[in-house]
Amino acid sequence: MWIKASVAAAVVSVAAMALPAVASADASDDYPIPNRILKTTCTVDQYMAAVRDVEPVYYERYMTDYKNRPVDVQDAARDRIYWFFSLDYTARRQYSEDTATNVYYEQMATHWGNWAKLFFNNKGVAAHGTDICMNYPPTDPTVWNW
Amino acid sequence: MRAIMMVIGGLLLGIMVVIAGLAVAWPAHADPDTDFANELHTYGIYGQKDYNAWIGKITCKRLYNGLDQDADKSAKFVFLQMPKGSTTEQAWQFLGASLRYYCPDKLPVLEAAAHQ
Repeated sequence: MWIKASVAAAVVSVAAMALPAVASADASDDYPIPNRILKTTCTVDQYMAAVRDVEPVYYERYMTDYKNRPVDVQDAARDRIYWFFSLDYTARRQYSEDTATNVYYEQMATHWGNWAKLFFNNKGVAAHGTDICMNYPPTDPTVWNW
Repeated sequence: MRAIMMVIGGLLLGIMVVIAGLAVAWPAHADPDTDFANELHTYGIYGQKDYNAWIGKITCKRLYNGLDQDADKSAKFVFLQMPKGSTTEQAWQFLGASLRYYCPDKLPVLEAAAHQ
């Protein structure tokens, strides 16, 4: 009887530990996509031009990675990030949720794991870029031609 | 006659060894990133060597592709990347060193700014 009770207690405590682990797979308002990116009204080109000026090394590395991809992957990555930026806050937040809970949700990532690194991976970069991105022209094709 | 030939041959071999030694030793001194960092130190500019080298090279790239069209723009870009509390003078010193180490053909940009 005593053994049964302790087994039951152990089962309960394991279940309690398992629950928060499941909950942590959800997205938050800052993860996996930084809040500033969910909320910015800047265009892709504005944000990239800003990052080129204020986080030049991060930008340089992303563009080097980009240029090392096949042209069809480059094109797809560009299309995908423009699509993401066309969404409103609610839809971006939902996308963040979808990518957080399903590793296969974003097909682009199977072709290029770091395809959105410049936009999603670093809160500091997102903050510095979105601080000033509204001061840049909405369209600037040079940001992809580095 | 044979003895003379051997002496000359030995001398030639010795000279070749010395030249080869110089050629091997040379690359050890030719690390522009280290020289660049050392020069920055004389201006009181510290920070990560690799980071500063990146900034120097990107400064050149921005001049080459026309994003920065004059030295004022370059100096502003450099100043943005330096730690808080850096001076404008240090930004210009950083810029001068960048051009000398990474794109000397862009040095006229600096001279053009001096003559304004």
